[in-house]
Amino acid sequence: MACTESECVADCVRRAETLAFADPPPHSIGYMPIYVPRELIHAAGLLPAGLYGGGDRLEIIRGDAYFQSYICRIPRSTIELALSGHLDRLDGMLFPSICDVIRNLSGMWQMLFPDRYVRYIDVPQNFDPAVGGRFWRHELETLRRDMERIAGRPIDDEALRNSIAVYNENRAAIRELYAQRSRAPWRFPLSEAYLVLRAGNSVPPEEHTALIRDYIRGAENDLSRREMDQSRVVLAGMFCEQPPHGLLVTLERAGCAVVDDDLFLGMRWIQGDIPLDGDPLQNLVDAYLTASATTASRYSPEGHRAKWLLESYRRNEAEGVIFCAPSFCDPALLEQPMLVAALDRAGIPHTEFKYSEDTGQFAVIREQAGTFSDSIRLWSAS
Amino acid sequence: MTIAAGIDVGSSAVKVAMIIGDEVLALHSERIRRRELRKVINDAYSIALGMANVKESDLAYVATTGEGELVEFRRGHFYGMTTHARGAIHLLPETRAVLDIGALHARAIQMDDRSRVLNYRMTSQCASGSGQFLENVARYLGIALEEVGPLSLQGDAPETVSSICAVLAETDVINMVSRGIKPADILKGIHISMAGRYVKLLRASGNATDVAITGGLASDVGLVEALRENCADLRFHTHPDSTYAGAIGAAFWGAYRHRVLESRKAS
Repeated sequence: MACTESECVADCVRRAETLAFADPPPHSIGYMPIYVPRELIHAAGLLPAGLYGGGDRLEIIRGDAYFQSYICRIPRSTIELALSGHLDRLDGMLFPSICDVIRNLSGMWQMLFPDRYVRYIDVPQNFDPAVGGRFWRHELETLRRDMERIAGRPIDDEALRNSIAVYNENRAAIRELYAQRSRAPWRFPLSEAYLVLRAGNSVPPEEHTALIRDYIRGAENDLSRREMDQSRVVLAGMFCEQPPHGLLVTLERAGCAVVDDDLFLGMRWIQGDIPLDGDPLQNLVDAYLTASATTASRYSPEGHRAKWLLESYRRNEAEGVIFCAPSFCDPALLEQPMLVAALDRAGIPHTEFKYSEDTGQFAVIREQAGTFSDSIRLWSAS
Repeated sequence: MTIAAGIDVGSSAVKVAMIIGDEVLALHSERIRRRELRKVINDAYSIALGMANVKESDLAYVATTGEGELVEFRRGHFYGMTTHARGAIHLLPETRAVLDIGALHARAIQMDDRSRVLNYRMTSQCASGSGQFLENVARYLGIALEEVGPLSLQGDAPETVSSICAVLAETDVINMVSRGIKPADILKGIHISMAGRYVKLLRASGNATDVAITGGLASDVGLVEALRENCADLRFHTHPDSTYAGAIGAAFWGAYRHRVLESRKAS
């Protein structure tokens, strides 16, 4: 039965608070941000479980011993989750290439949990089909065999096509949610949409798609939601370690309507539908080469780095950009100067601040976002 | 002409302003005093509507400031510095700086003639030198808050009070009471100590010489006098409606935004 948007959100909060990995299929594979080919895991009958850190309610006791103080928080909270038994139900872990820290985390995992399946997913940075395409196909074939072994059953092409169709549906629902948010951000606030998206890391994709559609329907029909006068902003820099929920609430309360962002980018990594005809594995390869999202962890030729941000700004009729990156996140913070320069050249207002997933004090961020929002609304034309 | 409302939700009072065009129609404030905040907001808003003799449907824009995110019927929210600057320019057009002294914080703001904020400095989270601190002192001395200012003016031998920490300052006050120091001298000493902090804030934020005092403590004549005595090169200005500067500024910015949004719609 369809639920209201508030019931959907409450359900998402419950899942987040209990770290519940759904009514589980017998086996599940965890994965770190950003992109893994979830279709291959799903086609094996396994649950792809997204791990986006421990959030702001996890006290880190053992995790700090594994990383220096100048390393971001997500690897230490992920280790903490594992050492405290929260990830015992996972049959394996995939570590896609985000940065050196996550690469090292995969090695540490192999030493800490030698009896569990661990794989570093080395995504190609060369997008020539004859080079990167061949390499990526080989990686996916290996991953397919690994998933077959864990699931104890073969992944035939038909099952893979079915999984691709399931994730096409999921991505379409997420695209619709983003489009609706861009049209009417007061009706689909980011602080709710974030929870709806986050739930997708711990439930089967079919269930998540239904949840998103229920939420959209519920919010559309909620006539108590009034149009607000806010500044339309794009958030950038949050593709890996996620901000605390309170930070998103703070931004909205400070007068910012977030019309686009790069939260949970892996869920929207493939831009558009993956074809269902032909060789499904090759379709996955081609989609990665030709339809991947742009982000700091993926190679882009010189001059193309800011293209996605400028396009998003224009497509969503935004009025400003907020760089909101985790402390010590090398990819996000090293990319930021290039993006800032591009925004300056285009005359686009922007502001910057950092967070960690357990940031608990938002007064300074509220002040900064509030003055940024006011400056856009009151002075941008002067 | 555009009719708009501004609601300033502070930590000790809710202030509401109703404006039409360039004029203020009505001002009303309600102390919170452990009451349910949403009810206080709704009560203050209803009374202000009645005072202005306008209906809710007449309002083109309801703007909030302070902790106004709790006002569910708002159209937009503006940050406190922005609204106090706008309110100060309306009430005291000759000023180019604002000293906003509320129950929990004090802010020094530099602005241009259009009330655009150029720079600012804020007190930290410490309660010392805030309205809340002064309320506590009034309670220890057993006097009404309204008496604090006039009584301070009578002080002729002010006692030095810690200007750094509210806890130490409160201990100072208790010691002074037990030593038999006159309440007027205690209050005068506190006002001088607070004024010293505010002048430092102002100097750190910029060099405008005409300063509007806004916020709840703008009506404390003892504090205003202490500021004037403390700093001869700055001219401190107050207005009978200075405590409403945030609400007035929010209302004017709301009306401005309404016109911008309407012209966008029309084009």
